[in-house]
Amino acid sequence: MRRRLALIAGLALLLTACTTQHQQSEEDGSQPRPGTLRVLASSELSDMAPVLDQVRKSTGITVRPTYIGTLDAVDLLAKGKADGAYDALWLSSNDYLRLRPDAAKKVVSETPVMFSPVAIGVRAQTVRSLNWKPDQVTWSQIEKAVQDGRLTYGMTDPARSNSGFSTLISVASGLSGAQSALTDADVEKATPKLKEFFKGQKLTSGSSGWLASAYAHRGNVDALLNYESVLRGMPGLTVIRPRDGVVTADYPLSSLASSDPDTRDEVRRLAEALRTPAVQRLITERTHRRPVVASVAPGPGLDTSRRRELPFPGTRSVADRLLDSYENKLRRPSRTVYVLDTSGSMEGKRLERLKTALLDLTGDFRDREEVTLMPFGSEVKSVRTHIVEPTDPQRGLDAIRADTRALEAGGNTAIYTSLEKAYEHLGDDRDTFTSIVLMTDGENTSGAKAGEFDGFHRGLSGHQRDIPVFPILFGDSDKTELEHIAELTGGRLFDAQKGSLDGAFEEIRGYQ
Amino acid sequence: MGSESTLPGVRRIAGIVLAVLLIGGVVAAVVAGREGKDTGTATKTVRGVIGSEKADFFADPAVVKALAAKGYTVKTETSGSWAMEDLKLDGYDFAFPSSQAPADALADKYHARQPLPRPFYSPLVVVAHRSSAQVLAANGLATLDHDRGTLHMAAYLDAARHDRTWQQLKGARSHAELTGTLYIATTDPETSNSGALYLAAASYVAGGGRVAAGKVDVDRTAPLMHKLISVQGAQQPSSDAAFRDFVSGVGNPLVLVYESQVAALLHDGRGVDDLTVLYPDTTANSDHTVVPLTQAGRDLGELLSTDPALRKLAVRHGFRPQGDSAEFTAATAPFASYINQKLTGIRQVPVPTSAVLHEMARRARN
Repeated sequence: MRRRLALIAGLALLLTACTTQHQQSEEDGSQPRPGTLRVLASSELSDMAPVLDQVRKSTGITVRPTYIGTLDAVDLLAKGKADGAYDALWLSSNDYLRLRPDAAKKVVSETPVMFSPVAIGVRAQTVRSLNWKPDQVTWSQIEKAVQDGRLTYGMTDPARSNSGFSTLISVASGLSGAQSALTDADVEKATPKLKEFFKGQKLTSGSSGWLASAYAHRGNVDALLNYESVLRGMPGLTVIRPRDGVVTADYPLSSLASSDPDTRDEVRRLAEALRTPAVQRLITERTHRRPVVASVAPGPGLDTSRRRELPFPGTRSVADRLLDSYENKLRRPSRTVYVLDTSGSMEGKRLERLKTALLDLTGDFRDREEVTLMPFGSEVKSVRTHIVEPTDPQRGLDAIRADTRALEAGGNTAIYTSLEKAYEHLGDDRDTFTSIVLMTDGENTSGAKAGEFDGFHRGLSGHQRDIPVFPILFGDSDKTELEHIAELTGGRLFDAQKGSLDGAFEEIRGYQ
Repeated sequence: MGSESTLPGVRRIAGIVLAVLLIGGVVAAVVAGREGKDTGTATKTVRGVIGSEKADFFADPAVVKALAAKGYTVKTETSGSWAMEDLKLDGYDFAFPSSQAPADALADKYHARQPLPRPFYSPLVVVAHRSSAQVLAANGLATLDHDRGTLHMAAYLDAARHDRTWQQLKGARSHAELTGTLYIATTDPETSNSGALYLAAASYVAGGGRVAAGKVDVDRTAPLMHKLISVQGAQQPSSDAAFRDFVSGVGNPLVLVYESQVAALLHDGRGVDDLTVLYPDTTANSDHTVVPLTQAGRDLGELLSTDPALRKLAVRHGFRPQGDSAEFTAATAPFASYINQKLTGIRQVPVPTSAVLHEMARRARN
């Protein structure tokens, strides 16, 4: 469970790092206020804004969501850090929460608000070429298509995203042939199959939102695995609920034991309002989720034929081990180049912050992961590559740490020349998740110009052109310049000017 | 638990948030919203924690009105019946778990005077779609009569003991959703009443028609009880959630719920597609029992038992009032094909003591 621990440690650091920078938003975000419920929520719930607006008009209750992944939310609750800071919990499912008694006892009432099953959204053209009848497709058929090289897909990172976690459970249950709740033995038995299956995963993401835009940008991935509601919101996908079973999210709005009775009563009022027929209709029409009240029919296009519900694991060890095995064994490993600005302007505090952030990040690297540090000034200063070998992960991690400590500031800022170097280094690799992280504290001052880099990028082979750059806004770096790089390469910009550098590095992990 | 003391640590958490979105934000609107709600002549506010299957009853505007007419505003929140023991009930006037065993445990803890008001009860039933009910019948696990039937517990437990899957049953092949191990989905027996009563009934049958009385009995049925629960994986915390799954076409083919939940749905004139209601031939009744924590709580419990208007509303929500079956029979006449009004052929078994039941649930879960 090295990963999970690292994740928690990362979170703790993040908390510290943010204290000063976010004074303002903290004041806004965490103070209790009458009529406003501070809700710890799954990020997919951002599509509920129009519904919550309606509910606010009818009840006077304002929902102030704080978005978080399931695992982080459960940790927060278990440690008592949600006590007094939040008034309610609203995750896509409380199944994982219930496996942690220390977190589960923080919850009082749970009211399911809507449903959405895990599904696979497939390009219409691919459905045709595979000769699939959408209502007949099974998990084994999907696996076979992947194995035959006829289906590639994207999904979110199970360690960071609710949808990814539910997808992983669905896939593991579906492919293991388990007749009841997954056990360690089932996962063990299914491992070779799962490994094959995850070879087809060409896209990973820390959030459903970026997954959708990366899918559109790439244009060469055949399918996405996510909640039906997310897939329904995307044009051109045939949404398939595998015939042999799915895991369904039921979005329970949960009140917390740490709140006072009046607050819990507000949560109850909110839950009641969300279950009125009018609001249920709005939910299913706007968000493509399924209603929980019998009087409201599912929105247009939501097929009502029945599916078996795949049982969610009943013990924490099974769930955690599955997650661990996904990260360290099943998924394709990642190869990442960290293009790090160590120009003269980084001298002093900035370089120290970079080193601290990178050192912290090493606790988070997965087995089999390849990490390249590419510090640059007027040109690339060195290219150091390390692999976290499953047999001796410590060795690789120690080497990364040693190289990080040795970083020195000096020279100008050759952003584009260094990026070109990173692309060359990664080459035309099809068996890993490749990506580039660009951290710079200033504008491009030497080497290739922006226009030249655009030309360079156009000249890349198809596979290389799919490698995203994740730039981090830091120090005095130029937002427009970095945004352009993210857009050109299909990456995403992360902001360490408003947030912290540790936070940005940590968040990017979900995309690697 | 002190929220004050953790506040500084927690305020920092806002920083991790990738997006803090304020949706709307008019505080004044709350006042308006509240004023719209609390009309009437209510004088006394009574707070209670209740089983989730009674949430719709207390939220019903007609019930709110009937209670207000008697001078009460009742504020409730839901919890699993067995989870109520772990709640801090300071400031509450009553707890309203779903059966006698958790009620007695709470009464002991809070020194509530016996007898406790038991306004209504409801048997446990298994809801199924026609297709799965017919497969059970074809394989000797159930007998059907129109839209209802009887589930043969001994035969079912035997199937469970042998890890029978739906695929092994005659006639299941033509239904895509009927695959995997045959089991009844229940709530978590450690926290929720219906799950615990399921074990009470199953252990009675498995123990050869005896109520488990101590460790030896628990030991004897433990492997089977563990199987019944562990095959389910994560379980719903409340019968409300389990029933909504079923109604929405999500989830397992066989789900254990209260008869009241089904009757309330039918009262609303809504069927579920080809719903079939299976009454286990051996079952434990759910006596919804009020545990008064204050005098106001006791008064409310008495009122629920005696007030004709409230009794009528309880029937409307599918409950069977104590001491008079005529009201329930008359009210369920329009959909009698689904309801075994007189519980013909159903054996009510006593529930083990709360200590034994707890231990049984613990062993089944772990």
